[in-house]
Formats: sequence, structure tokens, C-alpha cells
Amino acid sequence: MLSIQGRHALAKLMLPFFFVLAIGLIMLGLTRRQAVDSLRMRLADGLTPAYQLLTAPETAFAHLRQTVTGLTDIAGENARLRAENQKLRRWYNVAVALADENAQLKASLHWIPDNAPNFVSGHALRDAGGLYGRSVLLAVGENHNIVPGDVALDASGLLGRVTETGARTVRILMINDDASRIPVMLTASRGNAIMAGDGSPYPRLIYYAQDNRPVEGERVVTGEQPAPDGHEHGAFAGMPGGLVVGTVHYLRPGTPVVVPEASLDHPDIIRVFNYMSADHAGPEAPGRVRLMPPMPVAPELPFVPFQKPTKGQG
Amino acid sequence: MVGHRHAPEIHPGIAPRPTLRRRIDQLMRALLPSLFIVFCALVLSAGLGIPGQNELCFGIAASTVFFWSAHRPQSMTPLMTFCVGLVCEVLSFGPPGVFVFSLLVFHGVAHLWRYGLSRISFLFGWALLGGLALVLSLFGWIIACIGTLAMMSPVPSLFQAAVTIGIYPTLSALFAWARRTVADPEQA
Repeated sequence: MLSIQGRHALAKLMLPFFFVLAIGLIMLGLTRRQAVDSLRMRLADGLTPAYQLLTAPETAFAHLRQTVTGLTDIAGENARLRAENQKLRRWYNVAVALADENAQLKASLHWIPDNAPNFVSGHALRDAGGLYGRSVLLAVGENHNIVPGDVALDASGLLGRVTETGARTVRILMINDDASRIPVMLTASRGNAIMAGDGSPYPRLIYYAQDNRPVEGERVVTGEQPAPDGHEHGAFAGMPGGLVVGTVHYLRPGTPVVVPEASLDHPDIIRVFNYMSADHAGPEAPGRVRLMPPMPVAPELPFVPFQKPTKGQG
Repeated sequence: MVGHRHAPEIHPGIAPRPTLRRRIDQLMRALLPSLFIVFCALVLSAGLGIPGQNELCFGIAASTVFFWSAHRPQSMTPLMTFCVGLVCEVLSFGPPGVFVFSLLVFHGVAHLWRYGLSRISFLFGWALLGGLALVLSLFGWIIACIGTLAMMSPVPSLFQAAVTIGIYPTLSALFAWARRTVADPEQA
């Protein structure tokens, strides 16, 4: 047993000791952030049932509120839905005609269709970004085959990409996170750019060609990104081109941003797609192309020994 | 600050028998502030759709540690502060270590100046908490900037400091009542 003085000394040393531990934790976070985040993911994964239980009343209340709001404005809602239905019917006819034409064109080209992507839908469980990050944790259930890099979409457009996977949950880095960089294509100007998140609701467009600037209001879709490590199981997935992201808007002259179609503030139901066919790099076929011998750096010159110039020359 | 006086004991020196039930009751009363922080951190980490959940979690934890470290240090020791900080840390996704460090600073300052805090008015104690919240929130912002190697917006940290300052009076009124009643180990 310690004496009273010893116990006092120990009590006084406790706080500095914990300060040292906290500073060590800060250092660990700065150098090995991945390890800390994987621990947090594991805990969040285990707490999934508790989170579902906690959010159940809120979800029920939101449904009830929606119902009550719908009941109070039932006539207006009905008129709006009728008008929308007419418009959708027109678009349905256009879509059917275009789909037929597309099928005919593909048939005449002997088009080999891409594999249909697998997808998993889930509810956004909780915010997983802290004060400065923009991430969500998605409950996807057990036995999923989602890998980091998979694309997350909501009903309207691109929401983000998967960064970490757990047994029952996945973490999605939203497109407006400070660490997010997505290759995009601008549909009107046909230019390429990188969409960089900065924590604000509108990700910036960077690295576009200076002679082909983004046009105000043009649609932004994803640019194709091949899987960097190939198709091995668990490797970082690629991203297909053509997924809807949003529209270009200039907040200030020379500062184009993307107004996302997806609801970044309150994501609810999210689909995570596994596009295993996103890597469109050609197959390895070394036999088809004749290997050319490497070109010499400089053509070899015939060796001519030094000859003394004879008189009368030059 | 709400002061309180214990009722004079009728039979000094006579105490109830320290049975197991009484010991557990005492322990729970002593752990009540820490359990309150853990419960709030767990609830606020779920996706409830409340705006500023992360900021609110920090505000509640900081106010609780500050109050109990100043008014009853036995209910908020450095070990308890570190443990609740760790729990909050793993339940959040902020820059690692900053939550624990901030709570330890709140504890250290409140514990060191507890005699001074008991003499000065509530407003001065509140101002001290506000200053600490502002400095530590900006410290968290600096660590986040270093971690990402980018200049991030300091607005979330300023909002966090504002939430901490705003929530303290309400929580301190609640804790002043709890200190006399449910969180008093001597009443076990």
C-alpha cells in the first residue's frame, strides 16, 4: 500500500500522464489516421443495431409528418401530381421511342452490352465525417461484396464513393468532402475536369482546359476512371463514365462549381453500385501486335578513320 | 452558482452500514456525470437529423467536465475525463486525440481554479469556459488543417465554441440540482 504522500504524488501525476497520452493520440491520428478510423468503423459497425433503434422514432415521426402534411394539402398535391403525370407520360413516349432506336442501332452494330452492375441499397445511419469531413455511414447488411471505390448514388445523382467497408456498414466519402477528387466530363463543352470538394455544398471544378472553359448551366457527368489495381478481389474499384453529377454554376467569375443533383445535406436511401466492368482497358493480347525492335537513339555511323586532308582540297 | 448546504446531521458519526447495494449506489452517483456524457455521445452519434450534433456532443461533454471538475472533482477525476474522452473520440470521426485533449484541458483548468471559481460569480466562470471553448475549438481546427494539409473553413469550430457557450447555463442549472440530489454519493 502507498503512503498518503505517495498517493498524493501519484494523483498529481495522473493529469500530466493523461495529457501525454492525449498528445500521443493526436500524433497517432496525424500519422496513422487510417488505423484510428478503422477502429471507429469497427465500433460503429457493432453499434449498427443500436443506431437503428435510436433512429426508429425519428423515422416514424418523419413518416407521420409527411402523412399529415399530405393530408392538409391533398387537393394541391393532387393537381400537382396530375400535371406531373401528364408531363411524365409525354416523356415516357419519348423514352420508349429512343430506347427502340437505341436497341436497333446496337443490334446493327453487334453491340456487346456491359455487365449489369450489382447494387446494394441502404439507409444512411449516421454522419461519419465529424466537424470538418463530409461522410456518411451506410447500413448495407451482412455478406455484401462492396469494395472501396464503389460508387454511391441517391435517387438524383452521384453522392460519393466508398472509402471503408465493415461487416454491416460502409463509409461513403461525399463529393463535397475536402479529400474528394472525382474526374468529370462536361457534356456541352465536351471538356474534362476534376471535381474537388471543399466542405461547401458546391464542389469546385479544377484542372479544366483554359481554352475550353465550363459553360454555365451545362450538365456534369462522371468521367471514366479505370480500376488502378485491376479486377482483383478487394482492389479499389473503378468508376464508369456518364453518371449524373449536377450542373455547372459560376459563383464568381472564374470560379466554376458544380451544383449537385444529389441531396448532400440529408442523404437517406443510398445505392452503392459495384461496376466491375468499369475498367475498359483493352485485354492483354501480346500475340496480336508485332513487337517492333526498339528504335536506336541515334543511327550508327560508319567508322571512317581520320584522313589527313590532301593538298588542293578545301 | 447555486450554493447548497447539507442539513445538519442529527446523529453525527452514525452512518448507514456500507452494504453492497449502498456501495453500488454511491458508485453510480459518482459516475453519473461520466455516464451522462457517454449516453449523450452515443445518442448524438446516431443519425437523428438534428443540426450540429457533433458540436452539441462536444458542448455537452466540455460543459459537464468543466462543471463537475470545479464543483465535485471526485465525480470527474482525470481518469474519468480521459475515459469519457476516449469514448467520445471513438464515437466521433473528428481529428483523433483532440476531443480527449480538450476535455483534459477543461478538467485541468477547472480543477486547478476550483477555489477561485467558487468565489467568483457565475458570469466569470462562464466567460472562462467560453474562452477555453474558443481556444480549444480553434486548436481542433488547426490539427484538422495539418491532418489534411489544406486550409479548411474555421466556421465549424467557431460554431462548436458558440454551442458550448450557449448550452452551459442550462446544463449548469441541471447539474447544480443533480449535485444536491441524484449525483450526491453521500445521499446513497
